[in-house]
Amino acid sequence: MSPMETQHFRGLVALKRWPETAAVLSGMSPADAVEYVSALPDDQQQELFRTLPVNLAAALLGHFPYFHQYILLHTRPPAEMRRIVDEMPPDERMRFFDELPEEAWLRITEELGEFDGSAAQRKTPASDLPATAARAVAAPKAEAETQPLIQAQGVEKVFVQPDGQKVQVVAPLDLSVYPGTIVALLGASGCGKSTLLRMLSGLAQPSSGTVLWHGRPLAEVTPSVAIVFQSFALFPWLTVLDNVEAPLLARGVNARERHRAAMRAINTVGLKGFETAYPKELSGGMRQRVGFARALVVQPEVLFMDEPFSALDVLTAENLRSELLELWGTKKIDTKAIFIVTHNIEEAVLLADRVIVLGRNPARIRSDFHIALPQPRDRKSPPFLLYVDFIYKVMTRPDGDFALPAIKDAPPKTAYQLLPHARPGGIAGLLDVLIDAGGEEDLYHLAERLLMEVDDLLPIIEAAVLLGFATLEQGDVKLTQDGKTFTEAGIAGQKTIFRQAAVTRIRLFQQIANILASKSDHSISLELFRDVLDEHYPDIEVERQLETALHWGRYCGMFSYDSESDKLVLPHPATVGEAS
Amino acid sequence: MSAPEHKTVRSLGWSWPSGLPAGRSLLTDIPIFAAGLALFYSVLVMARYWTGPLTPQVQIDLRPQALPVYAFYSVLRIGIAYLLSLGFTLVYGYIAAYNRTAERFMVPLLDILQSIPVLSFLPGVMLAMVSLFPRRQLGVELGAILLIFTGQVWNMAFSFYTSLKNIPNEMREAAELYRFNWWQRFTQMELPYSIIGLIWNSIMSVAGGWFFLMACEMFVLGNRDFRLPGLGSYLQVASGAGDTRAILWGLAVMLAIIVLTDQLVWRPVIAWAEKFKFETVEAADVPRSPVLNFIRHSGVLGFLTRKTVLPVREAMAMRFARQHRESRPVSGKTGWGKWMAFATGGVAAVGVGYAIWRSMVLLSGLGHREFKVLVIGGLVTFIRVMITLLIGALWTVPAGVAIGTRPRLARFAQPLAQIAASVPATALFPVVLLGLIRLGGGLGIGSIVLLLMGTQWYILFNVIAGATAIPTELKEVCSLYRFSRIERWRKLILPAIFPYLITGLVTASGGAWNASIIAEYFHLKGKIFSTAGLGAIISQATDDGNFTVLLAATILMAAIVVTINRLVWRRMYTLASTRFRLEM
Repeated sequence: MSPMETQHFRGLVALKRWPETAAVLSGMSPADAVEYVSALPDDQQQELFRTLPVNLAAALLGHFPYFHQYILLHTRPPAEMRRIVDEMPPDERMRFFDELPEEAWLRITEELGEFDGSAAQRKTPASDLPATAARAVAAPKAEAETQPLIQAQGVEKVFVQPDGQKVQVVAPLDLSVYPGTIVALLGASGCGKSTLLRMLSGLAQPSSGTVLWHGRPLAEVTPSVAIVFQSFALFPWLTVLDNVEAPLLARGVNARERHRAAMRAINTVGLKGFETAYPKELSGGMRQRVGFARALVVQPEVLFMDEPFSALDVLTAENLRSELLELWGTKKIDTKAIFIVTHNIEEAVLLADRVIVLGRNPARIRSDFHIALPQPRDRKSPPFLLYVDFIYKVMTRPDGDFALPAIKDAPPKTAYQLLPHARPGGIAGLLDVLIDAGGEEDLYHLAERLLMEVDDLLPIIEAAVLLGFATLEQGDVKLTQDGKTFTEAGIAGQKTIFRQAAVTRIRLFQQIANILASKSDHSISLELFRDVLDEHYPDIEVERQLETALHWGRYCGMFSYDSESDKLVLPHPATVGEAS
Repeated sequence: MSAPEHKTVRSLGWSWPSGLPAGRSLLTDIPIFAAGLALFYSVLVMARYWTGPLTPQVQIDLRPQALPVYAFYSVLRIGIAYLLSLGFTLVYGYIAAYNRTAERFMVPLLDILQSIPVLSFLPGVMLAMVSLFPRRQLGVELGAILLIFTGQVWNMAFSFYTSLKNIPNEMREAAELYRFNWWQRFTQMELPYSIIGLIWNSIMSVAGGWFFLMACEMFVLGNRDFRLPGLGSYLQVASGAGDTRAILWGLAVMLAIIVLTDQLVWRPVIAWAEKFKFETVEAADVPRSPVLNFIRHSGVLGFLTRKTVLPVREAMAMRFARQHRESRPVSGKTGWGKWMAFATGGVAAVGVGYAIWRSMVLLSGLGHREFKVLVIGGLVTFIRVMITLLIGALWTVPAGVAIGTRPRLARFAQPLAQIAASVPATALFPVVLLGLIRLGGGLGIGSIVLLLMGTQWYILFNVIAGATAIPTELKEVCSLYRFSRIERWRKLILPAIFPYLITGLVTASGGAWNASIIAEYFHLKGKIFSTAGLGAIISQATDDGNFTVLLAATILMAAIVVTINRLVWRRMYTLASTRFRLEM
């Protein structure tokens, strides 16, 4: 905005002409709009936000700092809060939830889930829940055939309070842990997931039901398990080495063997050289490494983790997560299964092969499904976000009926090619020059011939290469057969060839063509592609990509663009026919 | 991830120097050999004296040469009583913390026992012990030791019990998950977790032990006059004889013992216990002790440790682990254990019932008039205790805040105050009383001075601790906004020290009630000085052998203390720990 426009904007705000203010904001990119809004005093910001249309509010919200997002969101009535959160771009929503402090997180998930979900949920017992939500996907066949390591049958937990009142913490539920998987148990804090973990690991007795370990009741066997605790639970008066040795000492392992095994575990977690340090001399991340080493030293068949990363800062947690995945992936640890309890949706999708979502009051399984994404996982990839989105919906809407995102076994590379910023006219011109030069020319001579800088020429050449009209090898630009055909065709023919090349070779055009062909009104909002590209490129680049795409598409008659409605429209059949 | 500083790693991750003692090291080991020899000799002396014939009334030699032997006997009594207390503490605390049924009555019992004035036990315990060993010195000695024991044990037991109860849940779970046997749990978790509390309570208890030792080395019981050789009786006899030189000698030795205990025992132990602090960040200011460093660098001790302690420790750990592994967890109590518990409970119940019945019989002999005297006495002592607390708080709050907020002042004031506090008030009683009488004051005022001497320190040290704990940020806020002196006290200092002040007052109040038994009634120069009060009634009843009054007065005093604790202090305490808690 120019200074004058800024003035205008301020004036609108001062006069509290909110609809007009919103209109001005919607004309800007969300980041810019937020910058303007953030410059206002807090009370005006809140007043303005309260009056924004829901879709605009959703588009802007993610660009505010997270503590502000929370406050702004609460200026709206609950029903609108929910709609705004739902309409936020998925990655922004994910970031918003993950950055919230736990208490705020808990509150907001409750608020969002409260007004239409929980009332109905209280009436419906677990068995009446829609099958998809209660159990989105049954365990795949391969798992069903192997023997589960741990099998919980109808376990429940009831605490009796001093006044004799019984509080059901965990509703009767069945659950099995199979070898070779990382299971994430996801739920809001205080929902009973830690209690469930303790029952599965044998630390706590279920009020009823049984837990089987390799098919035998837990009471009869000593299960080979270890727990990594949220608070680390190290003995501060013991050195790192003594802490790691302690479980072995309990088993009566002799001094030499103890030392050897402990040193190996310490090595594995990358703490070599810190054996004689005391926990209080270590950083939080290193302390949790000691916790890992102590768990690994007993070579547990199932490694339980109770919010292992929530006491750590974001970077350290990220680091430890990836190291854990590496140890697991490269089989450097002898653990057959990992069972991790967390309240962090992203963490669950990042780590787990299988996610179990728990509901609250009392805890019951709301959804149990597999995550069919290969490791390492990319948080920004659309399938990842779809999972996050799905879990978010399951958690906030207890009685909703959601389909698990359909994801093919090996998700195809969804990457969009970066469109070089070249105009179709420029590309045609380049090809003409090339044909004059005998179909092949050195990059530098080409630049000289065209009186252009190499930097300016390069996008045009890249565009030609992308469309399959030319190749660039070791500084030599060479015309292809398609390129030759293009130069030899007439103007209308060139457009057709261009269109075919774009649709077959460039994913974005492929999508546009498909959608335009399949939609009844043969039009599509450009906003959709803005959103899609947003996940791949920074804002500025998104605009440039779309600009280029518009040039290309309009040139070859693939679509026309209606700037008023911001829509792409399939050209009139007559026009198309004329073009071809 | 930042690497920890290696300097600290090395200083804490210390282990015994390896290898055989080198030549230079042998020289530094001489004091350790000497200490070993002295210990051996003292055991011999003690054995000869204890098994010797009973001489209830030892002639106290007022010459300075005699002092070392007296000091030795006194220290020995305290030491043995302390070891007894420690053993009792571990057993009692452990059972109370782990046995739900036992916990329900063991903890309130502790609370009541803590409130019963120790000196009321004196006649009963003494008579019982003397009749147990009628011909040996051992009887009287054991009586004295048991009395000191009852003075020191309760707070230690309470501290151990609370520590056990406060062990973080996840730490307990870790121990359970990794199947620690009870020995490993005890040595690697429970004892380390509670040791700091135990040490500080031990220091307090031993100081309290001196207080009572001074009183019970020389006392009259009905028609029998007991006098044990020791520092306490030395000081009393010296005061009685008005021998200023002897008094000064006695006090000097007393002071020397206290300073030496502090330097040779408590300092090293505190410095050693630093590693047991349950903290997440390493403290910048770590207590140090040259003696501890000396012991750590001693080649001989290191050698002995490697050859004896470490192998024994390893063998113990292995033995318990093997035992634990072989024994399968048994669900529920075995029939035998259940019967044992029932039997123990039954016997205890019968015993308590009988005692109560006998007491009732005894108390029924109490007349209406005697009862009235008791109530009035209780009231007078109550007022006296309150005045004492008020005076104590009035001077200790400003002084404590001054010391606590000024590190430079604290550097010399705190050790001085510590020494002053650890001189048992009972040792000074005769001297102070002598002075008061010379000035023309009676015991009415004198007893308040005496009570103050014994109890003001509790308040002072707690206030210092509270003032030290005031966060610097808050102090900075006060100077930033230019708070006036009054505002500063009202808004920051008083609220901040409030919880500590309450703790100090609770302890001081209990101590004052207890001390009133000595302070309100005193033998000096063959005369009896006394003033009205419940303490005086108890002392007199002891002198006269009037068990009915003794019992009634004791019960009354215990009841008053428990009631005040419940009604006043506990409420203040809750208020302090909720509203005035500084949590950063």
